[in-house]
Amino acid sequence: MKITKNNAFGKYLESLSEDQLAKTDALFQDLQEHCTLPKHWAKKLVKDFENALVYYHQSGVAPDEAHRRLQPRKLGGFYARGAAAWFALDDAAKVYPLSMGRSSMAVFRLSAYLKEDVVPALLQMALNFTIKRFPGFATTLKKGFFWHYLDTAKRRFRVDEEHDLPCQPLKVSASGSQSFRVLYWKNRVSVEFFHVLTDGTGGMEFLKVLLGEYIRLLGAEFVPEDMLLDVYDSAAPQETENAFRNVASEKHGAGFVDKTVVQMTGPLAKTHPCRILHIKMDAKKLSQVAKSYGATVTEYLLALMFLAGKAATDELEGQCSIQVPVNMRKFYPSETLRNFSMYCGVRLDIGDITTVEKMLPSIHAQLTEKAGKQPMTQMITSTKKLVSSVRYVPLMVKQPVAKAVYGFLGDKIFSNTLSNLGIVRLPEVFYEYVQSMDFVLGTAMTNRAECTLVTFGDCATFSISKLTRDPSFEEKLESLLQLDGIPFTIEGSGYYGH
Amino acid sequence: MDIKITYPAVKKRQNFLDWVRFILKCLAAAAVIACPIVNLFTGGKPWSLVVIMGVYTAWTLVLDPDLVEYNRISQFVKAVLCAVALLGLIDYALAPGFAIKVLPIVIFSALLVAGGLFFSDLQRQKQNMMPMLTLILISFIGTALGLSLYHGTGRWAMIVMGCVAFGLLVGCIAILRKDFIRELKKRFHTK
Repeated sequence: MKITKNNAFGKYLESLSEDQLAKTDALFQDLQEHCTLPKHWAKKLVKDFENALVYYHQSGVAPDEAHRRLQPRKLGGFYARGAAAWFALDDAAKVYPLSMGRSSMAVFRLSAYLKEDVVPALLQMALNFTIKRFPGFATTLKKGFFWHYLDTAKRRFRVDEEHDLPCQPLKVSASGSQSFRVLYWKNRVSVEFFHVLTDGTGGMEFLKVLLGEYIRLLGAEFVPEDMLLDVYDSAAPQETENAFRNVASEKHGAGFVDKTVVQMTGPLAKTHPCRILHIKMDAKKLSQVAKSYGATVTEYLLALMFLAGKAATDELEGQCSIQVPVNMRKFYPSETLRNFSMYCGVRLDIGDITTVEKMLPSIHAQLTEKAGKQPMTQMITSTKKLVSSVRYVPLMVKQPVAKAVYGFLGDKIFSNTLSNLGIVRLPEVFYEYVQSMDFVLGTAMTNRAECTLVTFGDCATFSISKLTRDPSFEEKLESLLQLDGIPFTIEGSGYYGH
Repeated sequence: MDIKITYPAVKKRQNFLDWVRFILKCLAAAAVIACPIVNLFTGGKPWSLVVIMGVYTAWTLVLDPDLVEYNRISQFVKAVLCAVALLGLIDYALAPGFAIKVLPIVIFSALLVAGGLFFSDLQRQKQNMMPMLTLILISFIGTALGLSLYHGTGRWAMIVMGCVAFGLLVGCIAILRKDFIRELKKRFHTK
């Protein structure tokens, strides 16, 4: 075997016995059999294996054990086969490439905080092993005559250290470019997805499998137990289907247009987002407090957000509306990893935003009425009708129209968003490695804050992507949580762009 | 608020290129508005059409390039099509008579270059075949129209253009086979 220019790997090889050297040679030969990528990608893949072996050597893992963890057969046939598959965008995803701009792209981020700092070499290998399980994610956005589509990208997908703002637009223009990015920073692993690929639920499945592979590379053993996808299984066709097509249409659809609402009045920042905040709460206490109000966690947090939103605006009249994404999988069980969510808006007159107790009945009634199966199915019906009615219109005509309509409607019918991903369940062994998780939405155009909630173990993380420096919203939230006796800590970024 | 910072500090972004791009866009927009007005007032040949096409070419290739499918074949074909349109307008508005002979030469040369770009990196470029097919289609239409409407001395270039386009199409089909059909299915899907 050729000793590479990688000095650390060269030294590693020198330290091996004849027998171990032969085994290492066999490992790389096996790798070659599993990889028919173009030369520049193949070289990087080889380098990834070298870096991982060096890391194991430096951390005292025996070569045999390192070889076992890094078996090239775990790559499957992903890197050995050409690009053949392609995927039409699902009905919800179709709007994203039509409306995106150079500095505005629907990107969201899911992160896991580990108990130790991330080992980049192992995270890269975890991604190399994971990507085969998600053929719908190993894709590049392409332009068809009528619609965009996702074309398989056979390449080595990259892990990067985090240096930029969260949820920045991805460069999807080049051949084979990634539509998601995997980042690490200290003890945090983040995956940022372009929304054409998936929604929060599908993205979380990817993050769980990636974490699983990472902790396996660290030496953990576990069985997925229906809590996450088995990385060694082949992807099922249902995982890449457009699940909207399986929903029977209602007689009547539901409109997308509504009255514009009050926005927080802090000046819009030039940098998007201008700050990220994570309020990490005791999940049990949060649930207890919500129950004490006779509400669900989502309803309770919506009430707090209305109060905080009111504190962050100078408007005295009008309505506030919070967008609540609804996971359609709860109404129509589906294995799809693509987008399968709709949304509803919970609206209150500013005058009615008074106390949590007084608002909760209205919030509860609206959620029951608007986020139920029938209204959501009506919305799907409208989406399907819209998609169907323009399917034979060439993309070059659709694109400018969609951009203009999107620019006109924008996000002015909502003041804020609350996306609750719910409780993330993982096998017991994960709790030895993973501390908490968070979910960050990319900022919109005029909504000064976008909020999310995700719960892992005892930690419920409420995240805010800010689009204004005005701290009134988060300060009011902080005081409301204190008032209700919910213990929390706040983490996040400094202000960007200053 | 007591906030524990868990994100890296982000270096101030290099806005210089964005600013240059913004200023050039403003200048381009001003030119598109001003030139037709000046042209209308001063009269004479419609030179402003050439300016507008020139500005569009700079806009689409440099100032606001594609967000999706920015690859060597798509950009080359786009540049060629803009050049063809520009030459056509110059012929129409400023110096009539040369385009009928020059355009087929430009297009068949472009077909040869596009073919070279395509076949030299087939594994990757087969997913970028569509712009080349567009150029082939335009060549066929150009050949059919040119041969039926024009009976002057430049017909050889049209025949060569048609032959090169046909040869390239046959080459693509012969080499790609099923992938060729798959590529068309992807590009024209209505799902």
